[in-house]
Amino acid sequence: MADPAIHIQSVDKYYGDYHALRDVSLDVPDGQTLVICGPSGSGKSTLIRCINGLETYASGSVEVLGLAVGDDRHLCNLVRKQVGMVFQHFNLFPHLTILENCVLPQIRAIGKDRTAATEEARTQLARMQVDIHAEKYPDQLSGGQQQRVALARALCLKPKIMLFDEPTSALDPEMISEVLDVMQALAREDMTIICVTHEMGFARAVADRVILMAEGRIVEEGTAEQMFTAPTHQITRDFMKAVQR
Amino acid sequence: MSLTLSNPDNPTGFVAALRKHFFATKLDAVISLVFGALIIWFVMGVVDWAILDAIFRLENRDQCTYEAGACWAVIESRGRLIMFGLYPYAEQWRSTLACFVIIATMVLSCVPLFWSVRRLPALWVGGFTVFVLLMRGGFWNMPLVTSEQWGGLALTLFIFSAVFVIGMPLAVLFALARRSDLPVIAKSFGLIIDFVRSLPLLTILFAAAVVVPLIAPEALQGNKLMRVVVAFAVFFAAYQAEIIRAGMQSTSAGQEEAAIALGMPYWSLVVDILLPQAFRNTLPSTINQAVITFKETSIVTFVGFFELMASGNAAIGTGEWGNQYVEVYVFLAFIYFIFVFGLSRYGAWLETRMRLGHG
Repeated sequence: MADPAIHIQSVDKYYGDYHALRDVSLDVPDGQTLVICGPSGSGKSTLIRCINGLETYASGSVEVLGLAVGDDRHLCNLVRKQVGMVFQHFNLFPHLTILENCVLPQIRAIGKDRTAATEEARTQLARMQVDIHAEKYPDQLSGGQQQRVALARALCLKPKIMLFDEPTSALDPEMISEVLDVMQALAREDMTIICVTHEMGFARAVADRVILMAEGRIVEEGTAEQMFTAPTHQITRDFMKAVQR
Repeated sequence: MSLTLSNPDNPTGFVAALRKHFFATKLDAVISLVFGALIIWFVMGVVDWAILDAIFRLENRDQCTYEAGACWAVIESRGRLIMFGLYPYAEQWRSTLACFVIIATMVLSCVPLFWSVRRLPALWVGGFTVFVLLMRGGFWNMPLVTSEQWGGLALTLFIFSAVFVIGMPLAVLFALARRSDLPVIAKSFGLIIDFVRSLPLLTILFAAAVVVPLIAPEALQGNKLMRVVVAFAVFFAAYQAEIIRAGMQSTSAGQEEAAIALGMPYWSLVVDILLPQAFRNTLPSTINQAVITFKETSIVTFVGFFELMASGNAAIGTGEWGNQYVEVYVFLAFIYFIFVFGLSRYGAWLETRMRLGHG
C-alpha cells in the first residue's frame, strides 16, 4: 500500500492543564474524504489544525505527504503550500477585493506572476460560481458567497489536501447547501479532504469514512451508514440523535 | 394615498426646520436665544475688531496706538520675520521655494497614486533633498545658510514632516518588535516605548540638543537640528507604535491564521495583511497624533530654534510692535489652523474612502 497522505501517530496536546488531544493516531489515505464529527470541545478542530501546523503538539508525530509537521518552520511552510484550509468564519482579507484575495496568496506563497495568478483566480472563482463578484469586497457578499470565495482562494494554490474546519456552522441555514454542493463536487474528484462538520447529509453523500471524537480521543470510526445504523458506543448514539434533530 | 407637503401636522420649510431644531420646547427656546445672542455678540465683536475698525496700511506711526481695531500693518511690517525667522533677508526666496517644495511633497504623498513601497520613499527622499539643498545652499550663487539660521514656517514644516517620515517606519518597527514571539525583544521594546512615553518631550529634546554632544563621539553627533529631529521622531514613534499595535490587535486572529495557512511568508503577513488593516482601524488616532505633533513642533523653540512660533514672538519682542501681540498670535493661529484643518479634512476623506472599501 502507498504511504498515506496524512500520518498522525500518538499525538498529545495540552492547553495549560487541559488535555485537548489524548494519544490520537490517524492515517488518511490519498484521495479519501474523511468527516470528523463529535461534540464541541472534543478536539476535532485542534486535530486538523495540527495537520498544517496552526497548532503545536506536545508529543507524537504528524507527517503530511512525507513531510514532518512540527518545530521546523521551513517544513511547515512546505506543507502549508500543499494543504488548503477553509475556516468557520471564512477569514477573507477585508481590505482586498475578492479577486485580490485569490491573487495575492499565489504571488506571495508560491511566487507566481500576477498575470498567471489572475487567470488562475478567475478560473477558481468561476468554478465556485462567484466570479461575478470578483471586483467586490468581502463584506459586500453573503456568508455563503464568502465561504465559496475562501474555498476558491485555497484551491488557487493547487493543494493536494483540503482541510475544512466547520465550514458551514457560521452560515444562515439557507446558505448551507450552496457551500456543501461545491464541497461535494470537490470530494468526488480525487482530492484528499478532511472535514470537521455536523452535516451528516454531507457525510452520507460523499464521506469514505467518518470518525467521531469525544474528550480528545477518537471514539468510533466507520462509514456514515454504520455510524447511524450500528453505533457501538453510547456517545455515538447520543451524538447521532442530537445532530439528526 | 399620498403624503402631501401641506400636511399641517408635518410642515416643511425654513420656519418649520427652525422650530423643530431650535424651538421644540420652552427650554430649547431659551437655550437657543441665549446662545444665539452670545454668538451674534461675539461675531460682531470680531468683525469690528478684525475688519471694520482695523488698520491695514499705516499712514503714521502712532495710528495703531490709538485705534480700537486690529492693526494688521504689523503683519506687513514683521511678516518676513514671522515667516522666515533668522534666515538671511536676501536669500528668503529660497526659504519660500523650500516651503512650496515641502508642501507639495506632503500633498503628493496624500494622493493614493503615490502609495506604493517604491514611490512614497522616492517622493520623500526627493522632497527632502531639494528642501535641504535650497535651504542650505553653498553652491552656484546660493551662499551657505547653516541650519542654525533656518526658521519660521519652513523650519516648522521641515521638523513636522521629518518627524513624521522618520517616526512612522520607526513606529511600525517598535510595534512589530513589541509583538515579537521572542520574549527578550518584546520585553525590551516594551520597556523602551514605556520609558520614552514617560518622559516629557522637552526633556528628550534637551537631552538630544545639549547632553548628546557631551557624551557621544563627534562623528556620531550630526548637527543639532538632526539630533533634535531624530529625538522628536523617537518620541512620536513611541506613541504611534502603541496606536499601530492596538490596530494590529484589533484585526481578528483569523486574519493571521488564514495568511499562515495559505503559506504566505511572515513579511507578507505583516505588510499585506496586518499593517493595512491596522492603519485602517486606527486612522482617527493616527491623524490625531499627526495634529498633536504638528502643534508640538513649537517646543523646539526651547532648544534654540526659531520655528514659526518663536519667530512670531520675536516679531513682537521689540518695543515698536509690542502692543500688537494679539494680531501676531491671530496670524500665527491662522497659519497653524490652515495646516491642522487640512490634515483633519484629509483624515475625514480617508475614512470615507475606506468605508467604501478601497485599500
